[in-house]
Parts: sequence; C-alpha cells; structure tokens
Amino acid sequence: MALLTPVDEKPGRPRFLLPRRLKGWVLPLALLLVWEVLSRRSHAYALAFVPLEQIAASLLEVLRSGELFNNLLASLGTASSGLLIGGTLGLSLGSLMGLSRLADRLVGPVFHTVRQVPLLGWIPLIGLWFGNGSLAKTLVVCLASFYPMVLNTYEGLRNVEKNHLEVAQVLAASRWQTYRHILIPSALPFIFTGIFHALAFSWISTIGSELLFTAGPGLGSLMQTAQMAARMDIVIVCVASIGVTGLLMNVSFTRFSRRLLRWRPTR
Amino acid sequence: MSNLIHPDFNRSAKSASGELGIQALSKQYPLEGKSLKVLDNINLDILPGEFVSIVGPSGCGKSTILRLVVGLDADYQGRIVLDGKPITSTSTDRGIVFQDHRLFPWMTVEDNIGFALINTTLQPAEKHDIVARNIARVNLTGFEKAYPHQLSGGMAQRAAIARALVNEPKILLLDEPLGALDALTRLYLQAELQRIWIEHRSTMIMVTHDVEEALFLGDRVVVMQSNPGRVKRVVDVPLEHPRDRASPVFHRLKDEILADLIGGGAEGHAAQAEAYRRPRAEAGAGR
Repeated sequence: MALLTPVDEKPGRPRFLLPRRLKGWVLPLALLLVWEVLSRRSHAYALAFVPLEQIAASLLEVLRSGELFNNLLASLGTASSGLLIGGTLGLSLGSLMGLSRLADRLVGPVFHTVRQVPLLGWIPLIGLWFGNGSLAKTLVVCLASFYPMVLNTYEGLRNVEKNHLEVAQVLAASRWQTYRHILIPSALPFIFTGIFHALAFSWISTIGSELLFTAGPGLGSLMQTAQMAARMDIVIVCVASIGVTGLLMNVSFTRFSRRLLRWRPTR
Repeated sequence: MSNLIHPDFNRSAKSASGELGIQALSKQYPLEGKSLKVLDNINLDILPGEFVSIVGPSGCGKSTILRLVVGLDADYQGRIVLDGKPITSTSTDRGIVFQDHRLFPWMTVEDNIGFALINTTLQPAEKHDIVARNIARVNLTGFEKAYPHQLSGGMAQRAAIARALVNEPKILLLDEPLGALDALTRLYLQAELQRIWIEHRSTMIMVTHDVEEALFLGDRVVVMQSNPGRVKRVVDVPLEHPRDRASPVFHRLKDEILADLIGGGAEGHAAQAEAYRRPRAEAGAGR
C-alpha cells in the first residue's frame, strides 16, 4: 500500500487558501450578507431584518448619547459584583466541603437539593423578598456563579494527589500551609474551570435578571425599552453588544488562566 | 528520655547524630477481615553516617520500614528511635526520596526545594542561598526556574534529592529512588548519590531491587525475605568507597546475595512464589 501512494501527496482534500485567523470570519460575514439580502427583499422583511445601514446608524446614536456605555457599565457592575460575592462564597463552601467530611455530610445534601431548583425558579421569591432593583439582580448573579464554584472547587480538592500530601506531611507543613501551597494550587485547574463557568453564567444571568427585574439601568433594560418602542435596530445593537462583551470576557479569562497555569505540560 | 537509648549504643567518630535504632518492629494490615503481617520482629541498629541498603523480594515490607521511620505511619509495634528519641510523627530531621520524584508540578525547581524550608525562620536571602547551594549540589544549576514537566526523569529525581537534603536531615531515606530511571542515568545517579553521601556524611538508608546498586553504595546490605517481612541476613561490605564494581569481592558478595534472594532454598522459593501470588498484599504494603 505504502509503495503505491506517494509520500508527499495527501489524499485529495480541497484546501482553502485562507490564513487560519481569517477562517473564523467567514461564517459571520456570510450571515451578515444573508441578513442584508433578506432585508432588501421587501418592506415587510425590512421590519424583521433591519438593514445593516440602519443598525450602524442606531449604534452611533446610542454611542453618542452614552446610553449604550452607561447601560453596559451598569450590567458589568451587576455581573462583576455578583461574580465576586457568589464566587468567593462558592470557593469557601467548596473548600469546606472538599476538606472536611463532616461539612460535606452536613451541608452536601442541602446544597445538592437546592441546586436542583433552576435559577428562574428563584425569581418570584427573590422578587417578593428583595423587590426588582439592583439587590435582586445581584442576588440572582450571585446564585448563578455560586454553584459552579462550589462544585469545581470541591471536585478539585477531592482530586489532589495523595503523594503530594505525603510530601507536605514529610516536610512537616501545617494544615494552613498545606491548604495554601498544595491543595489550592493543585485544585487550581478545576477552580479555573469553575470561574470560567461562573463568568459565563454571571453574564447570562445579569442580562436575564435585567429583563425580569426592570428597575434601574442595564443592557437588558435598554433592550426591553427598545422592544416596547418597537426599535428593532436598538434591540439588535444590544444583542450584539451582549455577545461581543461575553466573548471578550471569555477570551481574556482564557488568556489569563493559561498564563497562571503555565506549569502544566502543554497538551 | 535518655534511658530509651539502646544498650549497644555504638557512637561513630564520623558524625555525632543520625543513629537509628529499630527494635522488635512489627506491623500488620487488615486484609479481607484478617490481619496480614507485613513486618515481623525487625531489629536493626544503624550507625551515624552509615549507608545501609535494604534488598528483598517484592512484598517483603522494605518500603514500609522507610514509611515508618519517616513518620508517615504510626501504627506499628516495637520501637523506632532516632538519636535516643522515639519517632512519633514526621519531622525535618528525616528526609525521604520516593521512587516517583513527587515534585509539585505548579512550582519551579527552586520553589519546590524552597518549600522544604517553609518552617524555618531564615531570611529570604539566606533561604535563597541555601536553595542555590543545594541545586548546585545535585548539578542542576541553570534549571532553577524550570517546571518539573520540563525536566528529564533523572533531573527531576535529582531535584527531589535536593529537596530532601535542603534541611540537612540527620538521616536520609531513599525508597527505590533510581528504580524508575533508565540504566545509564541510574549508573550516573548512583555515583552522584555516593558523592553526596561522602560530602554530607549523614546516615542514609536505601531500599532497592538492584543488588549491585545496594553493594555499590552500602556499608551494609540488609537482605529481607517476605511473608512475613523479616531480616534474613545482614551483609557487611568490606570495601573502600568509591567501589570498584569489577573487584572479586564485589562479585562474590553479589552472587551470595542473589543466591539468598532467588535460590535461597525451598523456603525462599516458596516465600517468593507466595509474594507474587498475592499482589493485593503488596499493594497494601506499598501504600
């Protein structure tokens, strides 16, 4: 077989002569093109598929008025405070459950039961208790980032190598030293997965809670106002901004974690 | 506490501390509801500055002895006494090197070795000097900032040796430290270990499967047998360090010990066959 096939000729697969980095742009540009074509079909179509030109104009409008920036800032504020509080609490509870069997037995069943209630299921209760302002929103985001942090921290601490703990014991490290220098770094890949999920959930739940608790600024509120005013163009600007912001958060965190976990062998 | 010192206390002129006494040491593990004896009445007196090798078939409990001496397991009968003090837990006056290097993958070579000094009151600058000196001692200068996954097996094991030495332990325990390395690296590291031992002159105990390695490094070679693990024979090696592997005495001793281990009569065969038939007991003993 090998004798029949020349070595330097791969079996006929068409090769696209595009630099790797540009390939990611192909699909979005194609979608934009389809969008534009649809918007030009008729007046009725143009209501659903707002022409790109009009969207660009609205983007400039909300940029100039500061509406986009202010609402984006409010959303980021909700997301980050929720992530910070929920994530820290999650890290603490996950550590406690991962390190102490007693805590695991006491808190574990309650945690795993409460976790089954979907986030949307808490909305009525939170609304009744805390109104529909920023406290309620932050609370939803806290919950959203809390669960993945607990689960991943717990899993990470449970997966620490016994061999490494023995070394710490041989070197007579204290419990705190072992936690700080062995357990946490060794669980870090898991914890980062937790943060990664928490980050995504916090952004999603921020927008979700802004749509449900409409008091105060936020991209969700802006979007809802635009919807009521039948401003499809602004709705689309909002959707795009939400997507792009999420993507940027995702990419920058991936970069950051790769740098912090550089001790891992590259796969 | 001083009345705990063993009667045939025999202080060497080489160094003042690092004398280990093991008296009537026994240990068992529970296995399938029964108790399995892994060590039975081990008696061993190791002089300060002495290098003792322990060889024996799989499952004879040789690694278990080191785990007990280092203090990772306090569940045993008998006595283990270092410089007159019974061993109750781990302490930096005893160092150990395992077969797998067990470096922390998230720390650089330098940080791994420095971590062993975590409970000292040294200034950062002093700490840095000590770490640098120990890195030089195992010939790893230039690799301070490397992560373990960037090192070869031999280099990682040298870093592990430096980590065990950095506290200047009275006694260094070596649990098949070269067992996972290729033949050439092994020979090289045997010579390195010898050099370090001659410079350092602390007591060292090495568990190994390799009779030649045991003879090359050891002042004495303890030959063990299994089921239950006990000392079969202690062989004195009357040769000057560094040793010539080609010398007739070296060869004669090697043949003798190998005969002890493999061709040791019907009883030896039975014991070894038993050891291979019971891999679960081995897994328990090596825990």
